[in-house]
Amino acid sequence: MTRRRARRLLLGALAYTAALLVALVFLYPYWWMLVGAFRRTRDVLSNPLRLVPEQIDFGVFGEIARIGGVDLWVYGVNSLLITSASTAVSVAITALGAYALVRRPTLPGFKLLRAGFLVTIMYPYMLLLIPVYVVMFKLGLLGTYAGIILFLALGPIQFFLFEQFFRAIPPAVIEAALIDGASEVTILTRIVMPMAAPVVATVTLITFLLNWSQWFPILVISRASDTYTLPVALLSMNTELGSNFQGIMALAVLTTLPPAILFVIAQKRVMAGMAQGAVKG
Amino acid sequence: MALSRLSATLRLLWRERIFYAFVAPFAVITILFGIWPILLSIQVSFTASATALRATPTWVGFANYWTIFADPLFTTSLWRTLVYTGLSVVANLAFALALAVLLDSTLLRRGNMAIRVALFLPVVTPDVAGYVVWRWLFDRSFGAVNAGLDMLGLPAFGGLSSPATATAAILIAELWHHSGFYMLIFLANLAIRDKQLEEAAAIDGATPWQIWRLIILPQLKPALLINAVYATIQFLKTFTVVVVMTKGGPNDQTNFVSYYAYQLFDQGRYGEATAMATILFSIIIVLSLSMLWISERSGTK
Repeated sequence: MTRRRARRLLLGALAYTAALLVALVFLYPYWWMLVGAFRRTRDVLSNPLRLVPEQIDFGVFGEIARIGGVDLWVYGVNSLLITSASTAVSVAITALGAYALVRRPTLPGFKLLRAGFLVTIMYPYMLLLIPVYVVMFKLGLLGTYAGIILFLALGPIQFFLFEQFFRAIPPAVIEAALIDGASEVTILTRIVMPMAAPVVATVTLITFLLNWSQWFPILVISRASDTYTLPVALLSMNTELGSNFQGIMALAVLTTLPPAILFVIAQKRVMAGMAQGAVKG
Repeated sequence: MALSRLSATLRLLWRERIFYAFVAPFAVITILFGIWPILLSIQVSFTASATALRATPTWVGFANYWTIFADPLFTTSLWRTLVYTGLSVVANLAFALALAVLLDSTLLRRGNMAIRVALFLPVVTPDVAGYVVWRWLFDRSFGAVNAGLDMLGLPAFGGLSSPATATAAILIAELWHHSGFYMLIFLANLAIRDKQLEEAAAIDGATPWQIWRLIILPQLKPALLINAVYATIQFLKTFTVVVVMTKGGPNDQTNFVSYYAYQLFDQGRYGEATAMATILFSIIIVLSLSMLWISERSGTK
């Protein structure tokens, strides 16, 4: 008995060592980035591994106050605006669309639409953007917020989460309402949507996190840097010659922090939602 | 006859008009920014680049396809994309499975959620930011990777500057970014497995390895399949990491198909770029459908 307990203790210690080691390796880049944002470039060169900055100097944020001729706050506002708006549009149109497709899967065109959507999400989207550029041009949406927001509104995980939820609603609930003479709009707004509130919250969170990270569609649909978001600004700064290491790290911190905080606050909902949305796909 | 069928259909459409109204915005976006661009892309791949965007493009049949397959840079790029995808899928799934098994074990009760959060955080970190940091971590003069190896007395890692190690470097960065997601799927599958089977097997004297191999692993088939399909699609499309960390270099070592196609697009070689896109798309469709098909076949046995 004691031998078994000793064995279990040893195994537990091993398991914790392995798990903590991996977790530390995964978190280290964040720490290195954060420290790098406060250290002068020559200090980093002489000792890249230092775990605490020599000084806490916010001066670097003055250096990156303007990037590529656009104020830093513009990128920040763009990030918030584009992410929030595309999330709202995405949740609204995907919820409605998935609801209709689940309630009436056999209506003419509905199967085709679902199949077309599935094909779309399998297409390599960086290559999809080549023709999307042309489409945006034809629609006059090139360089507009509307173009960026509408393109970012389409996503597989959102669709699967809603589809899964609506499929699980017992048909009796809706039939009862129909017998009572409720219209489809009433059923949707008074019965289905209140039930769907937790899914809506999950999809909103996940879409916000995913769309905050987007960069390529924004780069392609933009005509100039004034519609860039933080990740796009970071990318263009990283591509410049004679890079300002400290500035890049500071901008990376600003890009990373909002989704990281949001995720840590809503960790359970985000992880459960992402697992569920993927399992369906 | 046909007329009465048509009118019946029209009546159906009218009766169900509310559902068409519900689906309309979603349908419009899907068609405008999904289906139309894909069809346009396929169309452009059969036209001459210089005329591709005109109202009346010059049709060239399969010429763009012959051109790219005669381009050694493309065939090498395609081969490297497939090899990189294979390596990444195996590395990510193996690593994620090991982590999931570790985190699922009863040995790790306290702090389990915190470790999960730490491993999943890179998934919701903007990929550009993550890869920018990794690019500098691998840097010869700034980077912590070589400074760390040096401190431990280990040989230096060539990182992004050496053709021999660049692929490994971006594979590591992508593993950091993606593996938490695959881990999550494995964990979800582990959580719903039938634990009574393991207890029964343990009572019958099965070793932990036998239990893992013969009882737990077969139950993880759904997660393995989902992850394999997702990861295959994911890594065939590898793009951002290349843009941020290597620009296809050194020596085109990491010039994967989507990046190469994008470069051609940038040079106005639309026909060839879209031909490459169509080929990559076909590979993705064929691979994912065959994986699903294989799983369904083995599932019904």
